[in-house]
Amino acid sequence: MRAARPTFFRYLAEAPLLWCAIFVLACLIFIADTVTKREIAFAVLHVVVILMAVRTGRVGAILAVAVGCVALTVTSYALTPHGSQEAGLANAALSLLAIGASTWLAMRLERLQAASRRAQGELARMSRIVLMGELSASIAHEVSQPVTAIAAHGHAALRWLSASPPNEHEARQALRRIVGDAERAGEVVARVRRLVARAEPRHEPLDLSETVAEALALMRGELRRHDIALRTELADDLPAVSGDRVQLQQIVLNFVLNAADAMAETPADVRDLLVSTAANGASVTVSVRDTGSGVSAEAQSRLFEAFFSTKAHGMGMGLAISRSIVEAHGGQIYAAPNYPTGADFGFTLPAAAKPTPDPTDDDAHGGHDRQAPGTGQALQKAEAR
Amino acid sequence: MSEDRVDTQTVYVVDDDASVRDGLDSLLRSVGYRTACFASTRDFLAALPLSRPSCLVLDIRMPDANGLDFQDELVRQGLRVPIIFLSGHGDVPMSVRAMKAGASEFLLKPFREQDLLDAIRHALAADGARRIEDDVLASLRARYQTLTSREREVMALVVLGRLNKQIAGELGLSEITVKVHRGHAMRKMEADTAADLIRMAELLGLFRPIG
Repeated sequence: MRAARPTFFRYLAEAPLLWCAIFVLACLIFIADTVTKREIAFAVLHVVVILMAVRTGRVGAILAVAVGCVALTVTSYALTPHGSQEAGLANAALSLLAIGASTWLAMRLERLQAASRRAQGELARMSRIVLMGELSASIAHEVSQPVTAIAAHGHAALRWLSASPPNEHEARQALRRIVGDAERAGEVVARVRRLVARAEPRHEPLDLSETVAEALALMRGELRRHDIALRTELADDLPAVSGDRVQLQQIVLNFVLNAADAMAETPADVRDLLVSTAANGASVTVSVRDTGSGVSAEAQSRLFEAFFSTKAHGMGMGLAISRSIVEAHGGQIYAAPNYPTGADFGFTLPAAAKPTPDPTDDDAHGGHDRQAPGTGQALQKAEAR
Repeated sequence: MSEDRVDTQTVYVVDDDASVRDGLDSLLRSVGYRTACFASTRDFLAALPLSRPSCLVLDIRMPDANGLDFQDELVRQGLRVPIIFLSGHGDVPMSVRAMKAGASEFLLKPFREQDLLDAIRHALAADGARRIEDDVLASLRARYQTLTSREREVMALVVLGRLNKQIAGELGLSEITVKVHRGHAMRKMEADTAADLIRMAELLGLFRPIG
């Protein structure tokens, strides 16, 4: 397990509080085990420590903790001054057996959870790719606007330069605009690439207003195509939340596409979409309100179920996946009627404890592939119904 | 239309995308056109009336108004400016509707520079010709207004090819009097020959179906 050493320190940095608790509990058990007679098998309680280690979400961490517990048990047996040697040996052996068995179970559990998390991540990514397909016209529009401008400026620059005398001022200005527009087109492409990239979900401090705005930037063409007027009320001083940017954007894209569908029958001049973010206390809410057909009472209770759809071509995965993502982030998803017509879809996430960026940022590109422990369960819930 | 006259013509650009607007502005100015750019159809309407030959380059999907509805609106207001539609989406029904409603051209973004410039040249030429026709017609109408009712009666019969004698008979006048009215009408209408007068009557729509 030499290779595990540097990673072990990374695990420490990921969940310092959890590791403190593990360490303190292990020490307490060790002390209790050492000061009491050998007949009293306090060391069995190390099982609890191992179960706590499951929460790190790392097989390697569980193993390391188990090795530590074994070492403490053996040391404690050697140091304990009182009690019968024989009973002590039997108790120590039993403790070690319990530690071994629970370690094996814990590792198995962790592997299953990891597989479930991976499956959930893949499912979310698949649904993102489907989303991108639905948005292709809009994305093409977002790219073609700057490309149109680039072509026009390019031709203009050539003309300005071949005029006599050459108009360098105009030419330079046109070239500067070309650079700006090229960057804009590049940014659209980068955004799309981020959304479909096979990246492990990572939790980082996020400004939800910025995250939402970035997602909306891909939708402008789509909204325009449907004659939908977009209004945004994005708060600028939101507390940071900890989350995966791409997955949260996916939810917003989903909500907005649903809203556009719901407004298909709405007269064009009242197709309004309001996207807002707001802080309330220790949480941040993102809300997408439309003036569409709304949600029937019958559909309301089943909205977030997998394979439930009111659309003719819907797979019924969008909202179910959105829900599992929100729950994996420790938040809540909701659907409510909008006044006077339409629907209000949104989610609330807890604000991150510290608004300052995480000091372990160096590790960020190394891959924080750890997700909140709820992910797997949330997916199972969505599927079970 | 020759390129040396382009600076007397204005191309109006309405597009809510600032990059595209700037690009078109620079391109059209580099060719020598006067340009006026607007972010919305509302801003464009505030810049009316259009006093010189002009055309409008309009994005078909504007946030405040659908380009096609705007086209209808302009027609309703009697504003005849050739429209070149730009569209980011290749939807056929829209282009058909636009062309049916009298659009001058329908281009897909991103378009070829030459296509746009050709479309603009064509639209401006059409607008210029339309304006000349309008001017001619307006001055014809003004001249026709100066005719007395008797002169109009005589003119109406002249253009139908009646001889003075026949006109005199129909109107119950002497042939001399008809000649005088006829002479006044020709002078007032600035017509050198009877054939000129016939052409003018045609432009004025004086020919009624003869029952």
